[in-house]
Formats: sequence, C-alpha cells, structure tokens
Amino acid sequence: MGYASTIKVPFGPQHPALKEPEHFLFECEGDIVVNVTPRIGYVHRGMEKAFELGTYSHDMYLAERVCGICTSAHTTCYTQAVEELMGVEIPARARYIRTIIAELERLQSHSLWVGIVAHEAGFDTLFMYVWRDREVVMNLFEELTGGRVLHAINTLGGVRRDISPDAVLKIKGGLDYFEKRTKEYLRVIKTERTFLKRTSGVGLLKPDDAASLNAVGPTLRGSGIRNDVRVDDPYIAYGEIPFNLITSDGCDVLSRTVVRTEEMLESINIIRYALDHMPAGEIRVRAPKNAPPGEVVSRVEAPRGELMHYARSNGTAKPERYKVRAPTLANIPSLCKTLMGVHVADIPIILAGIDPCFACMDRMLIIGKKTNEKRYFTR
Amino acid sequence: MLAYDLFQLIVFPGALFLFCLAFLYEWVDRKFFAKVQNRYGPLYTGTLGLLQPVADFLKLLYKEDLVPKACDRNIFSSVPIVYVVLPLTTLFIIPISGQTGLVAFNGDLIFVMFIFALMTITVFLAGWSSMSRFSIIGSVRSALQMLSYEIPLGLALIGPAIAAKSLSISSIVQWQSANATWGLWLQPIGFGVFFICMLAELELVPFDIPEADTEIVAGWRTEFSGRKLAMFRLGRDLEIVLASALVTSLFLGGAQPLGLIPPVLVFLVKSLFVVIMLSFARALFARFRIDQMIAGMWKYLLPIAILQIILIQLGLGV
Repeated sequence: MGYASTIKVPFGPQHPALKEPEHFLFECEGDIVVNVTPRIGYVHRGMEKAFELGTYSHDMYLAERVCGICTSAHTTCYTQAVEELMGVEIPARARYIRTIIAELERLQSHSLWVGIVAHEAGFDTLFMYVWRDREVVMNLFEELTGGRVLHAINTLGGVRRDISPDAVLKIKGGLDYFEKRTKEYLRVIKTERTFLKRTSGVGLLKPDDAASLNAVGPTLRGSGIRNDVRVDDPYIAYGEIPFNLITSDGCDVLSRTVVRTEEMLESINIIRYALDHMPAGEIRVRAPKNAPPGEVVSRVEAPRGELMHYARSNGTAKPERYKVRAPTLANIPSLCKTLMGVHVADIPIILAGIDPCFACMDRMLIIGKKTNEKRYFTR
Repeated sequence: MLAYDLFQLIVFPGALFLFCLAFLYEWVDRKFFAKVQNRYGPLYTGTLGLLQPVADFLKLLYKEDLVPKACDRNIFSSVPIVYVVLPLTTLFIIPISGQTGLVAFNGDLIFVMFIFALMTITVFLAGWSSMSRFSIIGSVRSALQMLSYEIPLGLALIGPAIAAKSLSISSIVQWQSANATWGLWLQPIGFGVFFICMLAELELVPFDIPEADTEIVAGWRTEFSGRKLAMFRLGRDLEIVLASALVTSLFLGGAQPLGLIPPVLVFLVKSLFVVIMLSFARALFARFRIDQMIAGMWKYLLPIAILQIILIQLGLGV
C-alpha cells in the first residue's frame, strides 16, 4: 500500500477567482500542478438553437447578448455574416462608425481586464483606479449609443445612430484623458516591483505551444506571434486605417498585460484616425428579409481574440444553422498547457490571464453515467 | 484606591477605551485606504461614517452563527474569544495614559513576543479546527508566515531593549524621554524591520497571503460567521491598535508628556500616524506569493535585522 503522490484540488464552479461558473480539477504534487482537467458546460444557454428559431432581424438582439463585455464584436460578426449572405453592401460611414464603436469596446474590455488582473495579484489600488477611468469610455458609450453595456449600434445594413460633430469632440476629449491615464498605468505595470514579482515569468506559454494549441488574441500575441484578424483579414474599416500590431515576447502574464495595455493606446490612435477620416453620407441601407441559400464564415478580432461566426441559410427569413465560436474556447487548450507546473497560488492570475468569458463559449457536456463516456453537445 | 484601579482597568485607559480606540482606528484605516484608492470609504453611519465599524460589529453580533458539522466544536468556539483577549491583555502592558503601563513588569517585552506567537497559533487553530479546504490552506500559510517573520521581529524588538538596558516597555519609553530622543533616530533599520514584520503579523498587503481573497476566499476565517466573525474583526482591530502602540512606544517615544499636552494625546497622535502608515503601505503593493515572502524574509530581512544588532553592539544607536 502506497500513498497517492498527488492530491486533487478542485477549482470552481464556485470560486472567488472565477466570475463565471466553470470547473477545473488540478492534480498537485505539493504546491505544483501536474495535471489539469477542465470541465465546461455550466452556463450553456442554448443560443445556437435559439438563433435558428428567430428571423435575421430577431437574431440581431440575440447576437447582442452573447457576451456582455464584447457585445459589439458579436454584432459586428453577425451583421457581417448575414450581410454577406444577403449580398448587402453597407455605406462607408457605417463601416467607420462600427470601427469606432468596436475600438471603444476594446478600450473598456481591456481596462476591465487590467483591473481584474491587478485584483487577482492583490493590487487593489490599481484595480480601483483603472475601473474609475473606464467610466470615461462607458459614459462615451451612453452618449453615442444610449446604452452603457449593450450598445445595439449595429444593425443589418449599417448602424442605428450617426456620430455628430459635437460627439466627435466629446470622444476626442475623453480619449485625451484616457490616453494620459493609460500611459500612467503602463508605467505602473512595467515598474511596480511587487506586481512584477507576481506576473513576470508566471504562466509561461511558449510560442510553439501557443501556435499549435490554437491560442488566439492577446494570449497569442503575448507569446510573440503576429496574429490579428484586423491585420490578416481586414474587415469593416480596418483596411483603410494604419495601425501597429502589438506583440510582446515575454510569454508570461506580464507580457499579456503589456500587450493589452499597449493595444489600448493603439486603439486610441485608431479611433482618432477614424474620427478624422470618416466619410460623409448615409449610415444605413435597407436589408432584405430573406437570405438566398448559402453559407458563410465571418471573423472578427474581439477584445479577447479571434471570434468566428458561421451561418447557413436556406432561402427563408431564418438561418438554417448558426454557430458561434467565442475566443475563450480557443484559449482553453493552451490555458491547460500553461497551468502545468505552476504554483497553486498562481492559478487565479493565470486563469484570469486569458481574459476568460466562460458564458459566451460554453458547450453542453453529456456524461454517460454507466459508460462514463463524455460527449460535447454544441448546439 | 481599589475603585480607581478598577476604573483604570475597565474604563480608561482600560478595556472600554481600547475598544473605542479599536473602532476608531478601523475607521481611520478604512477611510484613509479608500482615499488613497480614490473612493469615499465609510460615509453614512454617523458623521463621516465614524460609526460604521461599530455598526458592522453590532450587525455581525445578531447575524446567524453557523457552525460546520465537521469542525472541532470546542476549539472552533473558543478561538474567537482568545483572539480578542490576547491583544487586549497585551495592551494593558503598554504605557498609554502615562509613562508606565497598567500592569507593567520587568520582562514584558518578552511577554509581547510570546503573545505574538500565540496569536498566530490561535489563527492556525482557527483555520485547522474549521476543517474547510480554504481554512486549512490559510492556516498553514499563516503558520509558515510566522516561521519567517518571527526571528527578524524578535531581533527588532531586542534593539531598543539593548539601548535602554531594560526588558520593560515602560522603561524603554522612560529612557527615550530621559535622553530626549526616539528609537527611530537611533535605530532606523530596526524601525523598518519592525514595521515590515508588523505588516506580516497583521496580514496586511503585501503579506495578506493567509487570507488572499482571490485565491482562498477568506483564508482561515472562511467558516466563521455571526458572533464569532464579529469577535475576529474586533480582535483584528485591537491587533492594529497593539501594533501601532508598540511601534509608538519602542520607536517613536511613546506617551511622553509634552508641555501641557497630556501624554495620552501625544500617544494618540503618534499611533494614528502609524495606522496611516500601515494603511498606506497596504494600498501601495501587490500580494507576494508565500514562497517569495518566506525567501525574502530569510534572505533580506533577517540579515538586515542582524546588522542592526551588530551596529548597536558596536556602540552606534545607543
């Protein structure tokens, strides 16, 4: 009779470090993690089935609500897919407005994340300050779209509201303040000794692993790989706007933080350029009710990484099949790889490091009780 | 004379005064911490939220008191009381209203060190007896933490004792006012070491590892609720008073009479300054990992503490 050399530490579905229910089972040798088993599916909402039941204009509201933080990324992806099915070309001004809203959303999503990572590292002061300044962007959203969280600005065939010259000045004023503060936070992140101790060298993800396990977004760019849908496959107005692709080759939580913070500065430049070069004209064309038979894949760079929507139409007013692949799902395999060999105390900060949004990506898991067979049900 | 002694023990500067001080210092800590983080802090209960800590305490007193089935009942229900009594007893030793503590005796400095160790053992028992996963991790972390800061803390406490040639806190205070100097000017390194050890003893950021809320919920306190949690909160507040009182007495001159100003006011101002320093430190840093903390304590803090003792032995800072 020997002793088990590992102990099993369950993590979630209810845990203070996880804002959404998801379960990870860690096998630990002492303080070191040797194996990770993720178990997803606690917040499956049956959204893809619901897409099939609604018409294209109804599904707009559903796409809006896939994610609370990257709501406009999902609607951009949805409208892009459906407009391609319908053969609708949206006006140039609408493309610019969509870009501005998408980048503002990246600002608020990334600053939310920087706050959370600071909180996980026990650095509550940074958390409070970052979230205070995030309000600037949230108020801009309210000004521009009427909603702080769900913007509902995108619609089939264009956008719902125009940006007035008055609003342009307000956005620019807000951005000037936000840029100054973000530069300050970048300085704090790069120099604060205790924060560096918790993040630098923690949660290493080698570039080879990141690429072969299909990591996306800032997690991939934090491992030094140049990959961004905005550059690789430009959509809406990104093809006409010059900007830099941010990478960092530290491969750890620190470099993911730095990538996100520098991306915020880059987003500010994108918004400024888009505001200055916004063409005049219509903001919306009329979209037909039905889509001819066909299928389409649409890709968008959401704040968390590459977001993919797939739609198949059959000539009616409802999609025949609709699929959403949220970036968090793509990041789970590389996350499990990253978690191997870390200290138990580092688990929360590494988990938070991929900016998880579990409810957006959840699949249903069916476990056969007798055979112990596991099957994922994605509809 | 007996009546006066009783008054001293129970009202001023005894238990009642110390409880009020504990609540006041919690308010100062919370308010200052909030201001540093650009928040308001307590605002509604009483003027400027002054009564908020009292209100929290009373609220917890009449909340439901859950006891987990698996826990060790005797230890589980006695540790909260011990946790309040220990710092309260120790505060009687420290000179607050005059230059002599209420129950000062020769060698009470050693007694203080003993109490600090006992408090950590209480914390360990609290977590261990509640038999919850998070509590046990928290209590093991707090015991590990004690193993690393205990020795630097002892060395930092011994510094002023060597200088004053006495093991009594009251005589150290008297020595400082007799020589018209402060321990801070004579032994700045010792002061720094002692301050860092107090952060660790009080489990404040960057050493709040035993109760890291994002990792292990509330650490060793997870399973306590109602009256027991209220006792722990009161004990924590008294511990903050104790820490600031010790720093004040050993390094800032303690309760010196200053012209017409009574010593107790001098003491209050100095210890308030220490509380503000503690909460400022807690706002400035991120949390260390337990292994980083232990390594740092043994690698850097211990040699520095020994260096201070060597300097004293060489005749510097006496």
